[in-house]
Amino acid sequence: MSSSSTPGPGLRYPSNKKTIYDRNLNRTKNAELSRAAFAYLFIEMISYAQRGAKDVGDLEQRLNNQGYPLGVRLLDLLLTRSANPLSSIRPTRILPLLQFIAQQLYRHLFGRPADALERSGSDAAQYMIFDNEPMVNTYISLPRELSSLNCAAFVAGIIEGVCDGAGFPTEGVSAHSVGEQEAEAAGAEGKKGAAMWPGKTVFLIKFKKEVLEREEILARGTSG
Amino acid sequence: MSYYFTIFSPTDTPLYTHDFGTSRSGGDGIPHFTSSERALAPFILHSALDIVEEVQWGASTSSGSAPMYLKHIDKYANNFVSCWITGANVRFLLLTRPRDEALGLSGTTGGSRGSLAGGRSGLTSAGLYNPSAPATEEAVKNFFVDVYEIWVKTVMNPFFHAGNGDIVKSPVFRARVGAAAKKFL
Repeated sequence: MSSSSTPGPGLRYPSNKKTIYDRNLNRTKNAELSRAAFAYLFIEMISYAQRGAKDVGDLEQRLNNQGYPLGVRLLDLLLTRSANPLSSIRPTRILPLLQFIAQQLYRHLFGRPADALERSGSDAAQYMIFDNEPMVNTYISLPRELSSLNCAAFVAGIIEGVCDGAGFPTEGVSAHSVGEQEAEAAGAEGKKGAAMWPGKTVFLIKFKKEVLEREEILARGTSG
Repeated sequence: MSYYFTIFSPTDTPLYTHDFGTSRSGGDGIPHFTSSERALAPFILHSALDIVEEVQWGASTSSGSAPMYLKHIDKYANNFVSCWITGANVRFLLLTRPRDEALGLSGTTGGSRGSLAGGRSGLTSAGLYNPSAPATEEAVKNFFVDVYEIWVKTVMNPFFHAGNGDIVKSPVFRARVGAAAKKFL
C-alpha cells in the first residue's frame, strides 16, 4: 500500500495489517498447542540455559529467569480472561493469590489444577504447591551428574513472576523433586506417594517478611 | 472539563501521558488547563500515588480480592484524581479539572456544556461537580476498562517490560486511548 497509510515514521505494520491492538485477548478453548512442539522448544530452552551455566543451581536460576516474564504477563492476561472485565478484581491476600496460581494459572498452562497447596508447618512464610507429574518434565531424563536438577524450575519462575507482579515479592520460588528422604520423613503415606508419583515436584514459595507483615496488619483490621 | 491521564509503572515511572478535554455536549476534546495547572498536574498525580498505596489492598473485611477500579481517590485544589490498578500493580491515574462553573467559582451555574462525566447528569442539584456521582464514576470506569484492555495487549508484547520503565510509544495505543476518551469522557 502507499506510504500515506503509515501514521508515523518508524512504525511498521505486520503484513496482515493487524497490530497487536487489533487482536482479541480471548482464545477459543481448542486453541491448544501440541505437546511435541512444546517439548521441542523446551529442550532448546534448557540447552540454551545450559550454555555457560556453572552448576545445577545456576542452570535452575537461568530456567527460572526464563519463566519469570511469562508469569508477570499471565497474571494480567488471566485476570482479564477469568472475570467479567467490568467487575475486574485482583488478589490482595496471599491465599487468594495462591489459589489463583493453583487453579487458574495451572489450568491455563497444563489443563488441570495443581495437586495440592500447603502451608509449611515450620516456616509461616513458606507455602508449597505440589505437582504429582509436572508436564514440563515428561520427556526429560536426567544424567547422573545432573541428578539434582529439576527442570520445573521454569514453572517456578512463572509462579515467581505472578507473585512478584501481584505485589507479593518472594525470596524466591524453587522446584524440588520430592526425594526419598523427604518421603521417609513424611512417613508411610509419603513413601507411598513418592512411589506412585516418581516425578512428584514441590514448588517452595517463600514470601518476603514485609508481605507477611502487611498481611497481619490487614487481618488485624478485621477484628479491631 | 480537562483531563490529564498517566500510566505509572509498579516503580512509579510514568510510562504514558495523555491530556485531553471533554468531547461531550459540544466539547472540542482539547484540554483547557492554564499553564500553571498543566505544570502542576504531574506533581498532583505523583502525590496521589501515596493514597493509592493506602487503599489498594482493600478493606480489611474484604474476602481477599479487591476491584481494580479504585474510583475517586484524591483531590487537590480544583483537581480530582481517579485510579485504576491492574493486577500487576500498574496504576492508571486520571486527573479531572472541571470547568470553573461546575466548581462554583464563577457566578454562572449553567450546566449546558457539561460532559457526561460530571456534566449535567454528574452535577448535584446545586450544579457543582461531584466526583462520586454514579454517572461520573461509570463514565470514568468505562474509560479505564477500555484503556485496560489495550494496556494488557501492550504488555503481552514480549519485548515490552513495564517493570523496566519502557515507555509506550505506539501511535496506535495513543489513538485508542483518544478514542476511549472521546467515547466516554
